[in-house]
Amino acid sequence: MINIKHILLFALMTAFTAVGADALVLDSLSYDARLGYTVGGTIPTHIGREIRGINSFNPGLNFSIGVEATVPISGRWKAHTGLRFELGSMDVDSRVKNYEIEVVRGDESLSGIFIGNVRIKTTQRRITLPVQAQYDFSPEFKLRGGLFMGWLTSRKFWGWAYDGYLREGTPVGAKIEMGREPGDRGDFDFDQNMRHMQWGLDVGADWQFSRRWGLFAELTYGFSGLFKSDFHSVQPLRPMYGTLGISYRIK
Amino acid sequence: MTLYSYRHLFIIDVLAAVMAVLMTSCFGDEPDYCEADIETATLHVARPDQFFFQATDSMQVVFSTDSVITFTVRGDADVTALSPVFTLSPGASISPQSGSTHDFSQGPVTYTVTSQDGKWQRRYKLSVVPTHIMVADTLFYNFEHYELEPTYKRFYMWHNTLPDGTLGNDWATANDGFRISMGTAQPMDYPTTPLADGYDGAAVCLTTRDTGPFGRMANKRLAAGNMFLGTFDIQIAMSDHLHATRFGLPFTSKPDRFTGYYTFEPGPTVQDFYGNPIVGRVDSADVYAVFYRNHDASGKEVVLYGDNVLSSDLIVAVAEMDYVAPTSQWTPWDIKFEYRKEVDEQLLANRGYSLAIVFSSSSAGGSFIGAIGSRLCVDKVRLICSREE
Repeated sequence: MINIKHILLFALMTAFTAVGADALVLDSLSYDARLGYTVGGTIPTHIGREIRGINSFNPGLNFSIGVEATVPISGRWKAHTGLRFELGSMDVDSRVKNYEIEVVRGDESLSGIFIGNVRIKTTQRRITLPVQAQYDFSPEFKLRGGLFMGWLTSRKFWGWAYDGYLREGTPVGAKIEMGREPGDRGDFDFDQNMRHMQWGLDVGADWQFSRRWGLFAELTYGFSGLFKSDFHSVQPLRPMYGTLGISYRIK
Repeated sequence: MTLYSYRHLFIIDVLAAVMAVLMTSCFGDEPDYCEADIETATLHVARPDQFFFQATDSMQVVFSTDSVITFTVRGDADVTALSPVFTLSPGASISPQSGSTHDFSQGPVTYTVTSQDGKWQRRYKLSVVPTHIMVADTLFYNFEHYELEPTYKRFYMWHNTLPDGTLGNDWATANDGFRISMGTAQPMDYPTTPLADGYDGAAVCLTTRDTGPFGRMANKRLAAGNMFLGTFDIQIAMSDHLHATRFGLPFTSKPDRFTGYYTFEPGPTVQDFYGNPIVGRVDSADVYAVFYRNHDASGKEVVLYGDNVLSSDLIVAVAEMDYVAPTSQWTPWDIKFEYRKEVDEQLLANRGYSLAIVFSSSSAGGSFIGAIGSRLCVDKVRLICSREE
């Protein structure tokens, strides 16, 4: 993972060095402001057999704003980077069976096999730096692909196990019922177990329908998990953001 | 939060529906059940009224933490060929089979339950014990027999000396519930602990404890130390704590006086449900005994709980210390049972009454109000019974 970070940084530095080295390149730099609706924030890497049904799912609908720059490289190829501020969220309520769960608070923990319902909510604020190669099919239509790095400036992950029971430790451990109301259910809160830094794939498409205005679509998929690698209390989750928005050409 | 939620937007519903369909389509096969419990045990016999003391004794609900099942039956009952029937957790199987016939006069029969996925097993010992009702004059509870609970070895449990000299499990505590919130606590940090040097030999001490980060999260910030005749149901300790303390066990004598020795030192600061101090209030303890009919008018078996142990219509007599005066010296009490109703001797002999003795270091502990550190110690408890001639 360190290697990938280095590669990203190197690519970025190369891009900026190239930009700085040549005044003509600087002249040809174009940049635009972008406003988008972002859906998502988090998805499970796979749905285990333990998840028996989704009672409700709200991928969240959030804003993203950013300023992004494009610089010509060769022919129709360009380099694309920028800075985005994104809000991500998710609210999922699922029915589970034999779901391994661990609830941790301070030094205390309670773990075992849960049969019942689990509600998970998360909100994140992320600053994202994309580094992409862009190919212009026409002056109007462009595709982009590359990597992103993201830093979470705010991260919340919480939820509760409810309307079910825990078998403490193992399936033959004490059976502990969990109710529906706060205090009767098993609340958890894993803010501190989330990574600050995320990285992954970033693909996008632009349609410049007027001199200034355009539409864009963006999809980022995190290669890094939402949580630190030593954390196993909930199923593996990954950051994934889908954005649709408008762009305004500043230069 | 409101900034981030746009639940009313149509697009969210569409997305949610699409995602739900996508996700549903990739659910794997349902995993097999992994539990291996006996949930209920039932004995069917030809003449239940001659076999059981009470008709409801033929069926037992088995707690998830129990691995011993005991049917207490009439002293002259024939237990040489009985066929217990079980309900098991979903998918589980049992050996020997449910309904198979065994001779219980030679001691308990061991049953093994295996989970549907085959990975987990539990063993249960089932006994059918013919019991001659003994009418004792005085019952002694000296709290000399205690040990670490064998499964988790995290907290103490107590055994009482039965009239025939063997050890029983009549005393229950909520220590197991405390373990859920404070798994790191040492045995002597639990609400109910032994005191080696009591009034006379060992005593039992009940201390109101802080329930730690889990307790704060759940708005259950303290656990009063308690000890009672009855059973503690860990299964509902979290979801319905007032019903987890099942006060009372069948009792075949007519209690007359309730005596013992105590010390009580209230903790420094009473706190409310939210953990805020209640200035000027001194914590109070509970010391009482309740004698009640253990079946309601419809014949349903009854135990009393934290919310009705002093108010149920089935209560026959109560011996309650009105005010547990703070004292650091061993102080005797001697309280006479106040009878509200007549006792039916026939019903008494058929285990139709139960007795609950309840001690608690914070009276309002059931509502999570009390002073952390309040400490009630008791020793040499006596139940003096009158024999009707």
